[in-house]
Amino acid sequence: MVVMLAIWQGLSAAFGTYWIGSPWGVAARLASGVVSGETLRHASYTLLEATAGFLIGGLPAAALPFALRRLPIVTAILDPFMVAGYGAPKLALAPLFILWFGIGIESKIALVAITVFFIVYFSALAGVRALDSRLVQMAQVMGADERDLARHIVFPGAVPYIFAGFRIAMPYSIGGAVIAELISANRGLGYLVQLGAMNFDTTAVFVALAATICIVFLGNWSVNAVERRLLRWRPRPGLDVQGGS
Amino acid sequence: MATEALLEVRGLSKRFGDRVGRDPSPWVIQDLSFVVNEGEFLTIIGPSGSGKTTLLNMLAQIDTASGGEIRFQSQVAPIRDPKSLKPGLACKIGYVTQEDNLLPWRTTLQNVLFPLTVQRRLNDETRARAQMLIHAVGLAGFEQHYPHELSGGMRKRASLIRTLVYDPPVILMDEPFGALDAQTRTQLQEDLLRLWNLGRKTIVFVTHDIAEAIALGDRTLVLSRSPASIAGEHCNPIPRPRDIRGIMIHPEFGALYHRIRVQVQ
Repeated sequence: MVVMLAIWQGLSAAFGTYWIGSPWGVAARLASGVVSGETLRHASYTLLEATAGFLIGGLPAAALPFALRRLPIVTAILDPFMVAGYGAPKLALAPLFILWFGIGIESKIALVAITVFFIVYFSALAGVRALDSRLVQMAQVMGADERDLARHIVFPGAVPYIFAGFRIAMPYSIGGAVIAELISANRGLGYLVQLGAMNFDTTAVFVALAATICIVFLGNWSVNAVERRLLRWRPRPGLDVQGGS
Repeated sequence: MATEALLEVRGLSKRFGDRVGRDPSPWVIQDLSFVVNEGEFLTIIGPSGSGKTTLLNMLAQIDTASGGEIRFQSQVAPIRDPKSLKPGLACKIGYVTQEDNLLPWRTTLQNVLFPLTVQRRLNDETRARAQMLIHAVGLAGFEQHYPHELSGGMRKRASLIRTLVYDPPVILMDEPFGALDAQTRTQLQEDLLRLWNLGRKTIVFVTHDIAEAIALGDRTLVLSRSPASIAGEHCNPIPRPRDIRGIMIHPEFGALYHRIRVQVQ
């Protein structure tokens, strides 16, 4: 951390703050932006877009593979579309969404949602497919019906996979929101980046990036907190007693 | 034996891959016939790879036979029709598998209560029975532990009482103590016999250990090498209650061991 800051300070001194804002300058601007509420206002707008898009895209994506578990043919039909959707560059979709949903918050949420959806869908699908058939047989012998299997065996088994998807999708949701704002917006951290660049104010660009990274840390922390709660049953890395699953 | 046959296997055969587009593999089980009487502790012994697990899977109806007949009470199991299988026959057949197959996301207590939960039979009486069993096998104090926090022997105990807790009339056991050290294994055998004495379930216990088959069973069947069929049948003259730790010095043990030994190849 200290080394990174020293390198940053050194680069900033070598090239001048015109090209690279100094860490001290960025921190001061960030602090004054937070105090005046200006940076905070833009950041919360971006956070709102990212959170809404994350939930709108992520929750259906996590649920869909469960609905499709007993329908292998439908899953197979959907597969090429899912692969296409996963592979399509989301940045290229941004202009389309602006056409469809306008330049307001809806188009940003749509871009985030579509980005998150495919990442989480493929993770949840892997989780449903990784199902241990011996556990299913055991439960059936004990009298479990389809609903019991879904609730007690398939879902808990897939939770680690779904959270792996959430963890990967989370920075993408914030990045997606910032990129959508870069293209067209009058609010948000992406707008701040754009504004800073137009005014040749690199420090402002760095401030916006620093704020974005803070949101990523916050998001990561939230995903970790929820995951820790849901996965209490897992052996903690490093404290593994039995080396079990 | 004057008692009635509860489970009857006649001319049973099995080979895998009898599906369209796949060549059938060699027979795993061929022309296997035996009966299991009500309240009997039957042990089946056979070399590894002799189709013991396959046999139990068919009895538990999680796999289909390729030919022959399996009759439980008056119900006949479907042949070559996996879709009509009824795993566990509406909870009448319990199955303690080789691996413990505990649900890693449930605590010991939740795992033991799992069959009662899915059978919608969770009440004060069944909860008390679960607690009694947990105490009986020495898992008291570990109710809130997750499976990865238990030792191998404790997991086996949890897996065993998870089947005992819902009291199925027949229990199949597939080398449940196979992967344990000798001391733990003897302890668990004693636990099992003690629990069996409480209820006198019908048990079909598969093992590759001759001493274990003699120590536990009323009757022992010997399976031949693949394709499996019955190579021999031995009634066990050692009276109950038995002393598992001293079973080897019982006067009947040596002769019986030897008779089984020559049939197990």
